[in-house]
Amino acid sequence: MDIALAVSDVVVARARSGDLEALEALYRAFETPVYNLARRILRNAEDAEDVLQETFLEVVKSIREYRGEGHLWGWVRRIASSKALMKIRRERLRVTEEFDDAASHGRPGTSVAANLDLERALDELSETGRAVVWLHDVEGYTHEEIAEMMNKTVSFSKSQLARSHARLRRLLDAAPEAT
Amino acid sequence: MTHCTMDDFVALRANEGSAWARTHLEGCDACRAELETLYQRIAQLRALPVRSPARDRWLAVREQVVVQRQRRRREWAGWSLAAAAGLAAILIFRPFAPGIASADELAQAQRASAQLESTLHQYGPDGRVESGSAASLAAQLEDQIAAVDGVINRLGRANGAVREDSVVAMWRQRVQLMRQLVEVRVTRASYVGL
Repeated sequence: MDIALAVSDVVVARARSGDLEALEALYRAFETPVYNLARRILRNAEDAEDVLQETFLEVVKSIREYRGEGHLWGWVRRIASSKALMKIRRERLRVTEEFDDAASHGRPGTSVAANLDLERALDELSETGRAVVWLHDVEGYTHEEIAEMMNKTVSFSKSQLARSHARLRRLLDAAPEAT
Repeated sequence: MTHCTMDDFVALRANEGSAWARTHLEGCDACRAELETLYQRIAQLRALPVRSPARDRWLAVREQVVVQRQRRRREWAGWSLAAAAGLAAILIFRPFAPGIASADELAQAQRASAQLESTLHQYGPDGRVESGSAASLAAQLEDQIAAVDGVINRLGRANGAVREDSVVAMWRQRVQLMRQLVEVRVTRASYVGL
């Protein structure tokens, strides 16, 4: 998912001073990408909302430590990824089938059926495999960064990615032809 | 004929494929098609619809922030008051037993404090994520340490007017609080990650 989020330096400076309106502006700017990241890693919409809330509490607490190095979204995304991975660690996720988030919206030209198959296949992956696939292939994290966030080795991240893709391949092969 | 495995395809996509895999790919239509499928699948993953939260969580975030700020202000006010009272007691009543604490004791407490600062720096909060309860506890301890630092500074400025054992006592209190803070941070740091 490409994020082209621009938050003005003035808003960031006001947020760093604790201004609640500026903090809300940050929340509004990053609410959807943070939720989407969490929702793709976690199976459950409620858990993803919790991660969204925890992420912004952390943003409010730590915004003064953000030195402006790198894109703000990269900093927020790192917090969100860690929160989502901690959630996986803390809780045994409930297996649910939820494809009806309130505000989902498809992109023009994308087959809904094909998306559904891929989403179902993603749901079949292990929590860790799913997180590695999303963080690496979509969010663009390196294996080194993923290994650090998960407190695992680079080899672990690489093997999880290959294993998960092999599983996705099998699952999609087995799925009915998309129309 | 041996074909590429998914490990090979993932490595090839990252330009990290083995010499064997790269050579094999050149002459194998099936493996080239499989690699292309991998590229397509990743493109499809990136094109999945963006999901938005069903509920607005900002109000919950805002409420927690306001509550935390109010609590911190109350605690800060309480500690400032306690620190001021402590300083006044030291300056006016000089409650400590006669006998001058040795410079060694002061140096020892300061060394212990510096060592804990160093440990704390190692587990510093930059880029780290912590639980709400750990953050709250750490914030309380930091406030208490700041209050003690204030007293130490004032004692330092009142050079000659206070006894050395008063200063040692404050440094020891600082070391005690620092130890608790390190414990909170280290426990939290070891918990982060899968």
